[in-house]
Amino acid sequence: MKEGFSPRYDLNRVTGVITRIGHSAEGESIKDRILVIPTTKGGVAGGWAFNDLLHKGIAPKALVFGKLNPVMVQGAVLAKLPITEGWTRNALEDIRTGQRIRVDPAARTITVF
Amino acid sequence: MLRGEQGAAVQEAIRFQVEVGRFFGAEGFVRITNAHVMGDIEVMGDGGFGFLERIAGEGAKCRVATDSNARCMHFDDVACLKPDAKEEAKERRVVQILRDMRVATTDTCINYQTVYQPKLGEHVAWGDTGTVIYANSVFGARTNYEGGFSSFAAALTGRTPAYGFHLDAPRRGSIAVRLEATMRDVADWGAIGRIVGHPNQDYFAVPVIDGAKAMPLSDELKHLGASLASYGSMAMYHLVGVTPEAPTAAEAFGGRAPVSRMTITDADIENVYRSYRYAEGAKNVVVFSGPQLSIFEMQELAGRFAGRKVAPGMHVFVTTNHAIHSDASRLGYLRTLEEAGVTVLQGVCFYILQRLTEIRAENGWVNLVSNSAKLVNTITAHRFNTVLRRTADCVDIACTGVLR
Repeated sequence: MKEGFSPRYDLNRVTGVITRIGHSAEGESIKDRILVIPTTKGGVAGGWAFNDLLHKGIAPKALVFGKLNPVMVQGAVLAKLPITEGWTRNALEDIRTGQRIRVDPAARTITVF
Repeated sequence: MLRGEQGAAVQEAIRFQVEVGRFFGAEGFVRITNAHVMGDIEVMGDGGFGFLERIAGEGAKCRVATDSNARCMHFDDVACLKPDAKEEAKERRVVQILRDMRVATTDTCINYQTVYQPKLGEHVAWGDTGTVIYANSVFGARTNYEGGFSSFAAALTGRTPAYGFHLDAPRRGSIAVRLEATMRDVADWGAIGRIVGHPNQDYFAVPVIDGAKAMPLSDELKHLGASLASYGSMAMYHLVGVTPEAPTAAEAFGGRAPVSRMTITDADIENVYRSYRYAEGAKNVVVFSGPQLSIFEMQELAGRFAGRKVAPGMHVFVTTNHAIHSDASRLGYLRTLEEAGVTVLQGVCFYILQRLTEIRAENGWVNLVSNSAKLVNTITAHRFNTVLRRTADCVDIACTGVLR
């Protein structure tokens, strides 16, 4: 997505579809996707929300942030989702929606297939 | 704790904290005096509910004074805001679980006004963004955003990983903001939050705002902080000559060079109001919430609604906590508001109401007008068309039905 993301402000947490009017990823489902997100908005909702999404079977596979806040880490640790922060190149230019990618948080690499 | 001699819940909490702390390169823990936990069924879902039930069953007890954030249901009978019966039963159970864990369920997002005021340098673990930014900025206390299980974990272990705003360096200012505008309403302070926060979304950005013409009130700083946290994901600001770590701009920056500078004029604030567009709709809401109202905000609102009536097609909601609801009742503010046709909800915040998307559709509500810059930002996933207005304008819109 091209802008900040909050599971509370932007996402319908029943369907897993981004519903905020005018969001760059409006209408996209996050289920089983790797979310590439430049920044965070808000919010403490992410602390519980990723675990809830996992429970509902609509969680993303991994979170790739440019800049994040601690809530995203707290939420990802609870839901056991891989999470990374920091880009050496602009991931929004290198990765396009729908591409297959592999994220290796330990090696700090993203491979585009 | 890690070995489990203090029980499975504490062990799970400290393991979680070690993992989070490791991500941020924390070198250790700090002891905390107070925790503020957010756990409601709307955000935690069945997954979080089961999790909480399990750790409570393992005997989890808060070892520091802990209170709770606003709930997602009001438990009063308001026909147009009906929650799911099943979810309501779970929410009641969540409240009981929290009490069993020794949480004082104050159900408030303004704990800093009504429950606990930490001192300069005091470490706490607060789990709501508006509370965090108020603690760091106005009290000079120290906390990160502690979302979900994180604040519970801190309550159970009595400590939190030492990273972010617990340390000195991240508290120094990074953005220089020259305030030239004359502030007339809490909504103006919220508008600043949007102007500064939206283009600078960064948890570690710390605006230094210089130029306040009058001493800002607690409610004004509440709206400023809630808005900065909402639009910018920020956890701290300095207001030169007002907040404790900013006697001067130089001290607020602490030797760090500002990465950017901006100036805010009266025109910038007016442009924020002008940026909102009404959508076509016969039924609309005016909401005073996000954060909950203080007793003085209740008093002001009662004065503005006295002798007036909410117009046909409009619904007006106010949210506050139980303590202020009780005082407002005793002081007659509630009666004045209710006679005008205003619905006052206690222990909740509007944007976190359970099944709000459906509630909006059932009532046919289109526009949501508010004096809270935070609220008009946070509620958008539920597809309200939101409009920010000053408090007096909100009351006029509510009582005339004219969307302006």
